[in-house]
Formats: sequence, structure tokens, C-alpha cells
Amino acid sequence: MAARYYDGVTAEVKEVGAKWGIGELLVYRLTDFSIVARWRLEDIVVLGDTEHEAVPAISVKGSDARLIVEDPALKAELSRVDYVAAIEAPRPRPARRIATFGAAVVALIGVFWGIVDYGSEYAAPLVPYRLQASLGRQVRADLMAGHNVCTGTDGLAAINTLANSLASAGGLSHPVQVTIVKGGPVNAFTLPGGYLVFYSDLIKEAKDGDEVAGVVAHEIGHAVNDHPMKGMVRQYGVETMLKLLTGGYSDIGTLGSGGSLLLALRNGRGFERAADAEGIRLLEKRGLRADGMSRFFEEMMQHEPADPALSLGIWSDHPPTAERIAATRRPPTGRSAFTDKEWKALQSVCD
Amino acid sequence: MQEVTPAGATTEPILLDRTPSRPVYDGKLGELYAIYLRHLALMILTLGWSRFWGRTRLRRYLWNHFAILGDRFEYRGRGIELFIGFILVVLILGCWAGLVWLFWHFVLEKRAMPGFGLFDLFYLSVAFIGFPLAFVGQYAGLRYRLSRTRWRGIRGTLGGSAWTYGAMAALLTAANAMTAQLMTPLVSVNLARPRLSNAAIGTQRLEFAGRAGDIYGRYLGYYFLNIFLWIVVFAGAATAIGIGGARFGIDLDKIHTLFAKPGLYTILAIVIAVLVLYTLFGLLILPVRCWWQAYLFRYLVARTRAGGVLFATALSTRHMWGFMVVNYLILLLTLGLGWPWVTHRTLRLIADQLWIYGVPDGASIRQPADRGPRYGEGLLDMFDVSGV
Repeated sequence: MAARYYDGVTAEVKEVGAKWGIGELLVYRLTDFSIVARWRLEDIVVLGDTEHEAVPAISVKGSDARLIVEDPALKAELSRVDYVAAIEAPRPRPARRIATFGAAVVALIGVFWGIVDYGSEYAAPLVPYRLQASLGRQVRADLMAGHNVCTGTDGLAAINTLANSLASAGGLSHPVQVTIVKGGPVNAFTLPGGYLVFYSDLIKEAKDGDEVAGVVAHEIGHAVNDHPMKGMVRQYGVETMLKLLTGGYSDIGTLGSGGSLLLALRNGRGFERAADAEGIRLLEKRGLRADGMSRFFEEMMQHEPADPALSLGIWSDHPPTAERIAATRRPPTGRSAFTDKEWKALQSVCD
Repeated sequence: MQEVTPAGATTEPILLDRTPSRPVYDGKLGELYAIYLRHLALMILTLGWSRFWGRTRLRRYLWNHFAILGDRFEYRGRGIELFIGFILVVLILGCWAGLVWLFWHFVLEKRAMPGFGLFDLFYLSVAFIGFPLAFVGQYAGLRYRLSRTRWRGIRGTLGGSAWTYGAMAALLTAANAMTAQLMTPLVSVNLARPRLSNAAIGTQRLEFAGRAGDIYGRYLGYYFLNIFLWIVVFAGAATAIGIGGARFGIDLDKIHTLFAKPGLYTILAIVIAVLVLYTLFGLLILPVRCWWQAYLFRYLVARTRAGGVLFATALSTRHMWGFMVVNYLILLLTLGLGWPWVTHRTLRLIADQLWIYGVPDGASIRQPADRGPRYGEGLLDMFDVSGV
């Protein structure tokens, strides 16, 4: 019954036998039975375990010497003494462990996803306004770099007054600020901290002030519901999970970010529906005409009859336009959001 | 047994035992997966903070299931050492962030720079220092791992300066990029040299006798063949897409419309174009790249020895294809969950393809006085993908 012994001083291998003496382990040469090492029981340690190590080494505290026992008979004999019983511990069966830990991973992904998806509803509003505003300003500065910003005082005052009036109707505790960028596309978006960005082409394409007011109300709907922060929290959460799962392999992350993108797009569709509904509610609460939003969508449909949102399906960040028109259609009642003078000032805000 | 007379020696010929052997890897994929999935579950539960301990467990398994000359390796690193190493680097980075803030506050803030904020400056500075520091981290990480690796109870070591290696690696990599990768043999050999010739098991150092000049001829052949094949790939892809387009009545105007107003067909067109390009790339470029990498590996291994022990490998283009391409696809298609499988395949490949000629004189290899760094891999964890 042979084992291998390393003395910890040199890399020489000795073929040895081992047996229990009185209160000690004796390691001896097989050739002449001369004692190679005598280890006191209380000093003996097993390095590692049978889950990780194929052959856990036997050693003594503070020593580099090792006794490697692969022979099953010798292993069984030595392991009768508790001090080294660990060398003969049954190897854990992988199938059961894979099933257990695999199920745990799947369950934890579900819990993590749930926390990110639903927890962000509650976590996003808790982010201090100062931080949200600082983030919004930073993103706005990055986006505005190299673009002309419109400076028409009266036009900006008109749109900002409307935006703040709707925001306060929605219970927003901080002011909002609208910036208008010269040119296209026909679009507007909301950043954290209540920073709204409109492109002047949107104002140019609108038939009247109520259509622009519909878009303003929609954007305020995003701000009131904390959509920008929620979107960021969710995206960050999913990216974190992917990184944890993939170990940070960059290329895998790229592929994995497809999942993150899908979530962002799903968020996008949900957020757009909620912002439409909130916008209509706010306009009606202020006694303003709420038909502008659906009319604006109808004009978008006329420009693009083949609605990309419909054909892209889950790849679209907006719901189908026809669905939005149906959901936001209202009668032309109430007063206009802008006076004629304000509407004219808004139309010439970039001149 | 082979008779060898050392150059210049006048004494009796020395007989060296050059009996060939191969390493043995006897790990089981199921066992490795059990450890890995536990690590993953804990990673999610602790938001990644358990990675230091998980990595250590995986190494313990892999090291101890790999043996040379009948003696298994042993990994004696501890998770806490990796954790402290990481925290130290976080603290250093915190100090760096403070310095960047001071620079921003007193120098840059008053000069209006649209679109360039404090965070941009910080990320830019980290990217700038991160490039050389990633190399420093690689070397320091290797030093840590070797110091926690034992074979026959003897610790591994890695001499040399991680900072010197980092500076050299950053300069060589930058120079290689500026010379359109024409310096690749020089970079490969000069970066392999410190990693190999400074490494040792106990007092037995490895020796590396590689020279870039030996492999330049083949590299130039590969280099220009690679360029030629890229031209072929692009011409082939353009022709295939053009012919396909003409057959289905798609002209440039329609393609323009397709991208101006994205829809389901746009996604389909992108998928087809990517598939065509990837297929051509896979059939033409990758085999040539694998051929070069296999040759480089064979060269680096054959020019390395440990005293009287020589190394060789018959790693072929097909093996390298399995190592580079198949492993990559496994990782990609399993979203990283195939990592244990890839590691298992890689260790089996090493065990199958590495030949060791000779047996070291164990009695002459002594335990080193150097116990290695107290903590490890913080830089690697911060600036690089620090795998197992």
C-alpha cells in the first residue's frame, strides 16, 4: 500500500507507506521501512475536501510537507482516525447538486428580475431630486453638444408655463424645464430631474398649439411617473444580472445586452401607454383641450402609413400608433393650451 | 535514454532521462458544473461579492485534477486574499478619483466644455491608465496564482517587475497597433519571455529561448494571406448580396428605403447580411488565423524548458479551431453558462497535446524563500476580465 510523500523542502518524491502509531502517524519508506516522518495527531490537517480536491493532501500545521494517499485500501485504513477522515469523505453526487443549484440560479434570476422590474417602481422616486437633476443636466449637456438651441424668450416662456402647469397638476414637487433644439427629428423626450427636450421640427409639423400641448402633456406624463429614472434603474439592474451570470465576458455581454434592450423596449412601450393616459388626464384636469394628442398621432400615421411600431412588434419602443390614437381620442372641448400670441411665439422660437 | 554532451564540456558524457510523458486531467464536467452553479447562485445572491471565494473553489478543483508526472497540482489561495486585493485597488482608484476631481474643480470647471463633464474626465483618465494597468494586473495576477500553486509541495514563483512588464506590454501593443499589427511576432515573443523565463517551481526556473526572427517569415505569409482573404470575403459578400438582391428585385433605392423606414424586412436584411459575412469569415479567415495561432503555440512551447526537461506540442490547426472558435461559440451561445465546459475542453486539450520530455531531479528543486504577495488580483479584477 503506497502513498507519495513530499518533504516540503525539495521536490523529491518518496514512495512511502503510512500507519497509525500511538498518538502519531508514521510515514516510512517502503524499501527499508525507515521512518520518514512522524506526525503528532493533534498537528495533522487535511488540506481541502473531496468536493474540490481529487486527493486532499494530509499535512501538519505550519509545514510544507504532504502525504498524498490515492491507494483506496490505505485511504480506508488511515481514515478510520477522525483527524484524517476527510480524505475518505464521499464525493458529492454532481447530478443532484447541479439540479439543486441550477434551480436556485433560475429562481434567483426570477427574483432578481422581479426586484428590478417591480422594485424600480418604488426605488426610482426615492432617488433624491438633486441627483436626478444633476444626471439630467449631464445627459442634456451631452446630447446638446454640437446642436443649436432655440432661444426665443416668449416661445420658451409659453411652453415652459404650460409644462409647469401640467407638472403641478400631476403633483410633481419640482419645476420642469423645456429646451428646444433646432431641427429634427420630429421628436421629444424627457430626462431625469424634469428636463424636457423638444426638437423644433415637431413644432413645425404640428397643425396647432393643442397638438404641441398634447406632446407636452405626454412628456409630463413621463416625468410625473418617474419613467426616466425607472428605465435607468431597470436597465442597470438587468445589466448587473447579466454581468453576474456571464462573468463579464465582453462579447457575451454584447449578446446579453440584447435581452437588456428587449426589456428597455418593453419598458418603453409600457411607459408610452402610461404617459399617454397621464397626459390626457392632466390636460383634462386643467380644463384644456385634450384632442391634440390623438390628432398629432393621426398626422404621424399619414406621414408613415406603414407603422414601424406595428411591424417591429417587440423590437419597437413605442406601441402601434393606431392603438395610441384609439386610446387618446377625445372630443375637441375645453380651452386651448396656448393663446394665438403664444402659439406664434412658439412657432418662431428658433428664428 | 539519450547521450548528451554539453557544449564545451570535456568531462564524461551525461546521460539525461528524456522519457516522454503527458499531463493528466481527470476532472469531470458534472462535478465542475456543480461547483460553478453554486458559485453562480451565490454571485446573484451577493451581487457579485462572492466571486473571490467562488473563483478560489473552482481553481482548487481544476488544479487538483491536473497532474504532471503523477503529481497533482494544489491551489492554496484563499478568497479573502482576492477580496482584500480588490478592496485595495478600489481604495487606490478612490484616491485617483479625488485627484481627478481636484484637477476638474481647480483647472477645468471654469472653462466651459459642452458635453464634457467630470464623469467624462474620470472615465477618460481611467481608460488611459487602465490600458497599461491591465497588463500590470495580468503579470501581478500570474505571480499571485503561481505563488498559490504547489507541485510536490513546492510553491511556484514569478520574478521580475509587474510594472516593467506593464510598461513594455503597453508600449509594444501600442506600437503594434500603429504598425498595422506587423510587429506581432516581436510582441508575442517579448511578452512571452518574462512570463516564462521568470516563472519557476521552487528553485527550478523555466527557460525561454524564443526569438521573433524565427517566426517572422511565417507571420508575414499569414499577414498578407489574411489581407488577401479579407478582400475576397468582402468581394464575395458584396457579390452574394448583390446577386441575391437582383434575384429578388432589390436595388439601391429599395435598400435605402429599407433602412430609412425600419421594419421587419430591415431586421431580416441585416440578419442575412451578417450571416453571409460570418459564413465567409468563418470559412476563409478563421482557419488561417487558427493555423498561425497553432504555429505560434508550438513555437513558444518548444522553446521553453525547465532544466533538463523539454516541452513540445503537436497542436494543429484543427485543435486551435476547437480551442478558439468552438470554445467562443459555446460561450456565446450559452450566454457564458458554458464556461465550465470550455475550461474542461481546454484542460483536456492541454493534457492531450502537451508532451514533457524528461523528469526533473526533484532533490535539486528546493522550496523558495519567497512566499509571494499577501493579496492578489485586485488590478486584474478591476481592469481586466479576471477569469479562473
